[in-house]
Amino acid sequence: MIDHIQYFISIWPELFKGLVVSLELSVGALLLGLVIGLPMALMRTYGKGIVKAFAVGYIELIRGTPMIVQLFLIYYGLPDLGILLDRVPAAIIALGINSSAYQAEYFRGAILSIDEGQGLAAQALGMTKQQAILNIILPQALRLVIPPWSNEVIYMVKYTSVAFLIAVPELMARGKMIISQTFKPLETLFWVGVIYIIVLSIIAKVVDIIEKKLAIPGFQMSGED
Amino acid sequence: MAKPILRVENIHKKFKGTEVLKGLSLTVYEGEVVVIIGPSGTGKSTLLRCINRLTEPDSGDVYLEEQKIEPGKTNLNYIRQQIGMVFQDFNLFNHLTALQNVAIGPIKVKKMDKQKAYELARKELARVGLADKAANYPAELSGGQKQRVAIARALAMDPKIMLFDEPTSALDPELIGEVLEVMKDLANAGMTMVVVSHEMGFAREAADRIVFLENGVVAEMGSPEKIFNNPEKERTREFISKITRLNSVAKDREVL
Repeated sequence: MIDHIQYFISIWPELFKGLVVSLELSVGALLLGLVIGLPMALMRTYGKGIVKAFAVGYIELIRGTPMIVQLFLIYYGLPDLGILLDRVPAAIIALGINSSAYQAEYFRGAILSIDEGQGLAAQALGMTKQQAILNIILPQALRLVIPPWSNEVIYMVKYTSVAFLIAVPELMARGKMIISQTFKPLETLFWVGVIYIIVLSIIAKVVDIIEKKLAIPGFQMSGED
Repeated sequence: MAKPILRVENIHKKFKGTEVLKGLSLTVYEGEVVVIIGPSGTGKSTLLRCINRLTEPDSGDVYLEEQKIEPGKTNLNYIRQQIGMVFQDFNLFNHLTALQNVAIGPIKVKKMDKQKAYELARKELARVGLADKAANYPAELSGGQKQRVAIARALAMDPKIMLFDEPTSALDPELIGEVLEVMKDLANAGMTMVVVSHEMGFAREAADRIVFLENGVVAEMGSPEKIFNNPEKERTREFISKITRLNSVAKDREVL
């Protein structure tokens, strides 16, 4: 037992650096996914004709192809078109685009779950469609989206591990490097897993607190009203 | 009678091949309370929604005072500000308090100063007897209270006419009274109202005119006395007696 802990202490500085990179990738990708995903959700829900078709096409294309293909396309494929990206930006863009399709669907689900009557009531007051979406639908939908969105956060922190395939020095990649130096795969991967679990538990708790803070009476997903 | 506030002329509306409104015309005068009754599926709600264009009629014209509402030409949002609407299932904004629900229209649509809007909202809430519920969210209110907030919300826009789409149909029997009281107060204060409702007590007391709608047209209309006691058409008599019987059965059950 003491041996294990001593081993952990010896590899922790390296793993910690990897963890920081993993979290940077996660934050970057989640934000990019949000910035693309929310407009896509609005376009798919309220758009007509070509606007709607574009959003549907984008979401289905991204959801329908493996993330690893998207990652390799961006890192190895784009240079053919003259676009050279560093490893970290390439990983953030690939993960962010991938996430945007899923986030778009979470947002769309939340928007559709707000009953239509509130939109009608807003229009009956004289609000434009945009005002109704902005003032009535979105404030509610964004609250409802927190639980599924927290899922995406947790997936994302784990999915950043695919970035080690393009040699981004994130947590998994550091673990792999340590294994090649120490020849201790089992112990190393055990500690990598422990770090993921602890970090993700903390994130889940934080999201939970945010959800409770923003909760409105009669509006919780998890029923305690 | 006074000047017409609302004129509906020869409105037609089809849903998926079924014609719901078949050339319906109706004029409502200033200060008048018109109660619309009729069997379900005759287009009562559709008529109200065609007035403020939540539903676009296939043909026919609607005038608010002298202004014709024309798709594309008229500023629909401005027209809607002047037509208050109360829905069967309240449709309050769930993420806002009662006070915010009432104030949001003036703030966002009329660009009223927030301070003034909240002041106005407090006044309107007091008018429907809910001054003490200003800070409550819809989920914390009873059905009757929700509907009164919805009425206050519509009133805060200072409308020329109020449309009520079966405002008490979704309420428990013991909560209907408080909503009808508010509506009677409004009627007494001179508000022009078009009310789709089968509350015969309300119709008898508050209506200036009762319109019996059947098969997408006005089958008969007249004063409450005429419609209740002396209708021209057999069909009207049948319908009234059926509804009155149902009402009294519900009342009996309430007493028990």
